[in-house]
Parts: sequence; C-alpha cells; structure tokens
Amino acid sequence: MTKNKGVQIAFFVVLVILSVAYLLPIYVMLVTSLKTPYEITQRMYLLPSLNPRFGNYVEAFQKIYPSLMNSLIISGTVTGLATFVGGLGGYYLSRSRSRFSKVLFVLVGITLYLPYQAVLIPLVQIAAKTGMALTHFGMIFSYSVLNVPLASVLMGTFFLSVPRELEEAAQADGANKLQIFFRVVSPVSLPGYASTAIMIFTQVWNEFLLALTLSTPKTTTVQVKLAEIKGSFVALYNIQMAAALIGVIIPLLLFLFLGRYFIRGILAGALKG
Amino acid sequence: MLMALKDWSIFLIPLLITVGLLYGMLFWTFYVSVSNWYGTAPNYQFAGFKWYKLMFSMDRFWTDFENNLKWLLIGVLPTLFVALLIAYLLELSNRKKLEFYIRTLILYPSAMSFIVTGTIWSWMYQPDRGVINTILDGIGLDVFKSRFTTDPKTATYWLIVIFIWQFLGLAVIILQSSFRSSELQEIIESALVDGASRMRILFQIIVPNIRGGMLILASLLLISALKVFDIVYIVTFGGPGYSTDVLAFFMFIATFQQHLVALGAGLSIIIFLMAFVIVVPYTIYAFRRWFA
Repeated sequence: MTKNKGVQIAFFVVLVILSVAYLLPIYVMLVTSLKTPYEITQRMYLLPSLNPRFGNYVEAFQKIYPSLMNSLIISGTVTGLATFVGGLGGYYLSRSRSRFSKVLFVLVGITLYLPYQAVLIPLVQIAAKTGMALTHFGMIFSYSVLNVPLASVLMGTFFLSVPRELEEAAQADGANKLQIFFRVVSPVSLPGYASTAIMIFTQVWNEFLLALTLSTPKTTTVQVKLAEIKGSFVALYNIQMAAALIGVIIPLLLFLFLGRYFIRGILAGALKG
Repeated sequence: MLMALKDWSIFLIPLLITVGLLYGMLFWTFYVSVSNWYGTAPNYQFAGFKWYKLMFSMDRFWTDFENNLKWLLIGVLPTLFVALLIAYLLELSNRKKLEFYIRTLILYPSAMSFIVTGTIWSWMYQPDRGVINTILDGIGLDVFKSRFTTDPKTATYWLIVIFIWQFLGLAVIILQSSFRSSELQEIIESALVDGASRMRILFQIIVPNIRGGMLILASLLLISALKVFDIVYIVTFGGPGYSTDVLAFFMFIATFQQHLVALGAGLSIIIFLMAFVIVVPYTIYAFRRWFA
C-alpha cells in the first residue's frame, strides 16, 4: 500500500501519545521501587535514584514470599486441571453435532464469563463446611470449577481448526475416541494447550475477589497480599511498587516470552481459532 | 443417542459435573436471596422478596446501578472507538516494526492484575503528591491539575480511565484480527481508487464487514466492565462516600462485612441477570459459528 503523508503523521502522533501513556506508569513504578523514602518526598518522580536501593526488593520479597508460593501452587494446579478437563470437554463440543452437544454448548456459553459474585456465597459455604478453606484445596476447587467452561471453549476453538482427516484415518485403523484424542489430536494441539494454559494461569494469578473472600492467613494469594501492603503502608510507595513488580513478574514474563501464545489465547477467547 | 453419549462419557463427565455445580450454585445463590439469612450463621428460612424490596428502596443500590451503567457505557464505547482508530491506523501505516512495538506496549497491561494497575494509578492520581499533578506543576500546566479520584463528582470516571488503559490493547488485537479475516487491504485499495476518504472507508465499509468481531469484543468489554470490583476496592474502596460504589462492591460489603447475606445474594442475582443480558447475544453468535 502506498504511504500517505497524513496517515504517517497521525501514526507518529499516536505513537508518541501511547508511548507516554503506557511507558510513564511502568517507568515511574520502576524508578520509585529503587528510591529511599527520603528521595520520594523530594517529588522528583521522573528522575531515577542516585544510589538505587535494591534492598527495597529484598524487603518487599520477604513480605510477599509466602503469598507468591501460595499463588504459584493454586494457579499452577488450577491451570493443569482446568486445561485437562477443558481439553476433554472441548473436544466433545467441537466434534459432536448432536442436540445434547448444542444444549451443553449454550449452558457452557452462559457460564463462560460468569460474574464470580453469582456463586461466591455457595463457594464460601462449601469451602467452610468441607474444611477445604483451611488448605489450598478450597481455592483450587473453586477456581477449577469456574475456569473449566472457558478452558473448554478455548480448547474447542483450537480443536475446530484441526483437520479431520487425521482422525478419520485413525478411526479406520480401529482406534477408539480416547486413543484418537490422546495420540492424534492432542499432540498436534499442543500450541492450543499452551495458549489455554497461559490464559487460565494469568486469570487465576490475577484474580482478587474470590481470593479475598476465601483466603485464610495460610493461603493468602499474592493479589490479596499486595492489596494489604497498599492498605497498610500508605506512605511507603517504594516498597509498594517493588512488591507490585515482583507480583507481576511471572505473568509478565509469560507475556513477553510466549507472547504469540498469549495473543492466540486472547483471540480464541474472541472465538478466532 | 445414549450409545453415542456412552462413547463420549470420559470426555463429558468432568465437564457435566462442573457445569452442574455452577448452575447448582447459581440456584443456591438465588435460594439464599429469598431466605432470611443475616448474621454469620446460615438461615434458609423463606422470606420471599423481602430483601429485594429493601434493596430497591436503598439509595445506595440506585447510586451503584447508575455507576454500573457509567462503567458499561464509558468503559466500553470509547474503548471500541479508539481501538478501532488505532487498529485501522496500524493497518494503513504499514510499518511492521513499529506496529510490533505498539502492540506490545499497549498489550502488556493485559498480563497484569487490576490490583497492580490500581496500585500504580492510585499513585499517579494522588492529589497532593501524586505523579500527574506533580508533573503538571513542574511544566507549568497547573491549571489542568485535578483531584482525580478524591472528587466525588468525577471519581468514577477516573477509575474508568484505568479500565480503558488496561483493555485498549486487547481491543486493538481483536480488531486487527477481524480486519485480517475480511481481506481488508484489497477492500481499502479499491475504495481508495474510487476516491473514497479513509474515514468513510472505515465506517461505511470496514465496520459493517466486521460486525461479528465487534459484537464479540463489545461483549467481552461489557462483561469485564460489569464485573469490575478490584479497581474500586484498591483505588477508592467505594469512596468518597458511596460515589464510586458499584453493585459488585456493594455485594462484597453487604455479604462479608455487614453479614446481610440474603441482601448480598440478591445483589449477586441482579449482577448475574445483567451479565446474562450481555452474554446471550455473544452465545448466540458463538453458537452459530461453532455449529456452522
């Protein structure tokens, strides 16, 4: 396409505006996380610290370490469970054209983006009555149930784009559905599994409402801990920012290094396989 | 039919259990909302629509409802519009390397939680010592200084800005992908040859071509705007007064702090019904594509 002058000018204007809007917050966050409390009171927010204080990160890490581990255990387990179950269910939804499958698809569709409030009170009751609330299981159970519909639709979207010839050939060789699924379809859908896993992991890692209501001191997740730090250390912006940066590092690394899968996951959520 | 289902049983059973649990819990929430449960111990004694009547008579409920509508409207329409312009500009400018930079730049907040973005923006917004006001002071533009989220009249709007900031990248990515599947380049080329202006091409040719993608994106944004809780919790905690309160936040306060559990359940049902209205067109569209 030919390059139009007006378009190019508009492009650079947008480039500058977006750069400021999206780099400024993260830049200020980084710079602040390395300052001393005294430097922060100087209000030179854009200037980096003259002698960066990496001790802020040590202090912040000590505060949030247990919650990081809790989040890792919970998000990791839920990701595995939901992706696996979602793979199974999504395969059925993508292959069966029966009326049962259509009804099920609608039922799943409605729960796909279910506001957690709609099931929060029962989940808290279940976790409390069964004693699951005392361990990680309460949250693992809750998040798994809530994320299986999304995982099913994401996986199903990927399965829809797998050519059927492979399956038909395997079927002709006498393989049953389980064998076809595990030996033929799943191996070629590994990128789909990766995208779904990243989506679920990020979602669970970042979730706050359920974590806030279900977590006990032993199972506090990183988001709840970050909110607590923000609430109780009103003045200590440097520690807040350092803690927030540590808390965001895992999903951010997933985004930066597996960006392709991350974007494919977002697009699958918009039903583009 | 049953034989066919038997073949699928291992695939189906876990999903059916999950879906069954979700609908069971949804019904359970409804049951709580017509019970007389207040206080910490469950009380399932039937109370009819008593708590709904109380809810509809509360000023706080209507303030929240209005705020939710603001979120839905102002959180979604400008995002769609700006994302559309950015996505179109990226296609028109044809600068691949800078396009990659912009996409990464505006998409990184998608990986972060509202708690983290809320923490950053609280400090950007802080009225006396916050980043934005300090910078405005520094460059002599103090007329633009604002009280941001501490001014009850505008606080909700400043919270919505955070939401737009966080979701813009996602919207651009989804729209760009819609563009690509509609052979946009050729359409633009031929319309340009016919002498159509670029803006006309966007709104009269492209937008009608990507209705499906727009619908899905709008649904995703609407549902995210409806569910918003974290931003309010972390930045303003509903304040000043109730000015930034939303139904999702009130539900949390009513249920877990005031222990008016039946009222909280009623609020949950209202939130669910609003979500249902948003999700139905999405589901119908998805259904048609899925079983095409």
